[in-house]
Amino acid sequence: MHSQGVINLDLVNLALAYGLVLLAIALARLQRIGQEGQMLWASVRMGLQLIAVGYLLHFIFAINRPLPVVLVLVVMAGFSLQVLGARIRRKMPGFYRVMGSSIFVGCGAVTFLFCALVVGYTPWYAPRYLIPLAGMIIGNSMNGASLAAERLAAEIGERREEIETAICLGATARQSADTAIRNAFRASLIPTINTMAAMGIVALPGMMTGQILSGTAPVIAVRYQIAIMCAITGAVAITSYLVLLQGYRHYFSAAHQLQDRRAAGDA
Amino acid sequence: MTEGESIEQPEMVSMEQVGLIRHDRKGNVTAILTEISFSARRREITAIVGPSGGGKSSLIRLINRLDDPTTGRIILAGEDIMRLDPLQLRRRVSMVLQKPFMFEGTVLDNLQRPFLFRSVPPPVEGSPEVRRAMELAGLAAGLLTRDARTLSLGEQQRVNLARALITGPGVLLLDEPTSALDRPTGDRLAGTIREICQSQGLCVILVTHDLRLAEKTADALVYLEGGRICEAGRPDALLTDPASPELRRFLAEPDTKERTHA
Repeated sequence: MHSQGVINLDLVNLALAYGLVLLAIALARLQRIGQEGQMLWASVRMGLQLIAVGYLLHFIFAINRPLPVVLVLVVMAGFSLQVLGARIRRKMPGFYRVMGSSIFVGCGAVTFLFCALVVGYTPWYAPRYLIPLAGMIIGNSMNGASLAAERLAAEIGERREEIETAICLGATARQSADTAIRNAFRASLIPTINTMAAMGIVALPGMMTGQILSGTAPVIAVRYQIAIMCAITGAVAITSYLVLLQGYRHYFSAAHQLQDRRAAGDA
Repeated sequence: MTEGESIEQPEMVSMEQVGLIRHDRKGNVTAILTEISFSARRREITAIVGPSGGGKSSLIRLINRLDDPTTGRIILAGEDIMRLDPLQLRRRVSMVLQKPFMFEGTVLDNLQRPFLFRSVPPPVEGSPEVRRAMELAGLAAGLLTRDARTLSLGEQQRVNLARALITGPGVLLLDEPTSALDRPTGDRLAGTIREICQSQGLCVILVTHDLRLAEKTADALVYLEGGRICEAGRPDALLTDPASPELRRFLAEPDTKERTHA
């Protein structure tokens, strides 16, 4: 793009870079780990996918209209939700509805606040800002939310006795699932907390290094990194909380009964 | 709800043609309970007896609506329980589950839980409610400040009982209350349950596979096998002269015999 000081990579440069992948494949072959095929296929996929995305973004930047920008974000979120849904073993009932709506509300609100108030660029849909910022917020929230959902399913499975004891003593569904919800919320925040605490020492964050590579002064890049990390933390917390608040209900009936009792128990 | 209110009410549980069908994930349909009809009176212990897997626990879980029946009605003191608010129902019908689950904290914390669930200020140590519940369950007052999870199983089951009684229910449901205990401890607990039933005028419904316990404590006995009531009546009559082939077979099992006549 038009930032100064960036060296353009042409096809010859890229071919050289792919030479390193070939080297990795050669090593894999030498060690007989039997993953050469997968490695080759993955690297080809990566190339094709990224080139396609590059052209798509190029196109969207050129149009510079709100609808295509939002559409790209929605499609990206949809794809990653699909990937998550396929990966999670213990899916909570109503998984896609709960996750989808929580991400829409949680990420939508945080992205809006962040773009409008913190960064404060105009117009609001400027793809150069909105796509990477919203992309990072959505991606991280998705991870947090899926951790929350996965942990909630596990907690409720393990705490059936505790939950039913509470219900017998007159607790509402929410009260009986309180510990499970709390533990799931904590689990969803751990990666974000760890990333924040390790930032700049263990690894240089991707967005910051990207900005520095493209010629932004490190001091400014660092500020962006701090701001986006704060936004990510907020978005992860809100999204996970919404997932849990909606999600626990799916395990109970309106009469505060724990559902899906395992058939293995005493009849 | 106050203690007086529950004692005045003629709490009585009856099941009318209750059936329970379960669908598993593969789409199979299993009849867990079929045409269950019986009544349990106040000031009496009604024991539901039968081999494990016969539907006893499933049956008792319907009375405080941990589960709902597929067909039939359950009446509590003249009212269909489906018409009651489930939270209100569970205040009147307390249930003690098979394994005593202790919440984190002391015995007192555990006794306060039911009040916190109802957003009512809980009774403090030394209050009449706490003292009465501890006394009823046969627990020494000194245990109140102990960490509940460090107590013996027998003591935990008594805390479980005290916790279920502290809010003054009219009906007490017990799911295999003594199965986790050794025999002397279980016998003492059974004695306690009898006393509570009499002194508090409770309607107690007890599920057990232990005929000996049923014989010693129950006023009425319901024999459940394969999800059906095979026989019901006074325990002494039923156990000396069973009419149904199922109960006769159950009584003849060496395991059962040992439990009954030991």
